[in-house]
Amino acid sequence: MSQYQDRDQARWAENLRRALPDPSAEAAAKSKARVEAWFESTAPTISWQRWSTPIGPLFLAAGAEGLIRISYQDSQAAFLAELDRRARLVEDPQAMAPYRQQLADYFAGERDRFSLPLDLSRLTDFQKRVLTTIARIPAGAVWSYRQVAEAIGKPKAARAVGQALGSNPLPIILPCHRVIASDGSLGGYAGGLPIKRKLLKIEGAQLF
Amino acid sequence: MPLPEIRFEDLIEVHHDEIHRYLWRWALTSSGPDPEADAQDLTQETFLRAFNAFDRLRPGSNHRAWLYKIATNCARSAWRKAARVPTAPESVIDTLAEPSGSTPEQHVVDRGRDLILRRALAELPAKQQAAVTLRHLQGLDYPAIAAALECSEASARANVYQGLKKLRQSLDRPEEV
Repeated sequence: MSQYQDRDQARWAENLRRALPDPSAEAAAKSKARVEAWFESTAPTISWQRWSTPIGPLFLAAGAEGLIRISYQDSQAAFLAELDRRARLVEDPQAMAPYRQQLADYFAGERDRFSLPLDLSRLTDFQKRVLTTIARIPAGAVWSYRQVAEAIGKPKAARAVGQALGSNPLPIILPCHRVIASDGSLGGYAGGLPIKRKLLKIEGAQLF
Repeated sequence: MPLPEIRFEDLIEVHHDEIHRYLWRWALTSSGPDPEADAQDLTQETFLRAFNAFDRLRPGSNHRAWLYKIATNCARSAWRKAARVPTAPESVIDTLAEPSGSTPEQHVVDRGRDLILRRALAELPAKQQAAVTLRHLQGLDYPAIAAALECSEASARANVYQGLKKLRQSLDRPEEV
């Protein structure tokens, strides 16, 4: 662009700025306050907390429909990035108390079934099918990936089952740790194999 | 894993003011009696539409340009081009414009030129008005303007060029206004 054109463009920008000046700071603040108030009354709220447990730190998140996420993530930013991007996020340990209570009982070996509202609305149909199926595996028992695939009527889908379990948003409560490889080895786990082993030990599963 | 995408809350925090400025500028060239109220309504409408479409925003896309696209569509549907004459009360604009010129005479000349420019902008095809405003008042680059106006970069440049050309003509012939 020539120097002449540069000057010409700058002059036009100046003319336009004068003809169409910025709004007043008050007008901008008023508009922003209105948008923020609307957002607070419209957006879903997700409460969350970081919680130290006998198996290590966990992040928990819940909304109006129930528990949304139990996460083994190390970083808070990475955990929050997994949650619905439209939602308002509120760090609120008080709101998580009912969920914490049942999980604490479970870690203490005093509970082997959970009775909690779960929000599975963001899962695919296939994930839901796999996760509701493995929710029927009783504490103390283990199934193989292939057994789960057979139980959902897709005996060749063991690999897809593994993937669906790998993206389980509610580990422990939807017990994907009770699914192991058909050769008896532990397979994989989002929280790492030592935690998978600990959970199975809490439940008294007989391995090997 | 893709980078964490922006949260809607942050979208409001980061982009509200510039979107509001943009819609205020549309309101100034419209025939509404209260540009401040219009800009506020349109800003609210823009964020509401954005919220409803937020799940469909593709990862990695330019969310700033995407917001401008929604804002432009809101402005265009609010003010279909039928007989748009800027009648925003001069007092509203007067209080905002920086004092211009060194003498009262110069001030009158400048105000006359500002009015001509606003009218000329209002008379441009909506796409040219949007392109000129985005480029010279909102500071968007051409790829972002193209995304906001859903056209090619070449077309974005052409719209800015054509728009400026017509504005220039209107300033050269003020007696026709």
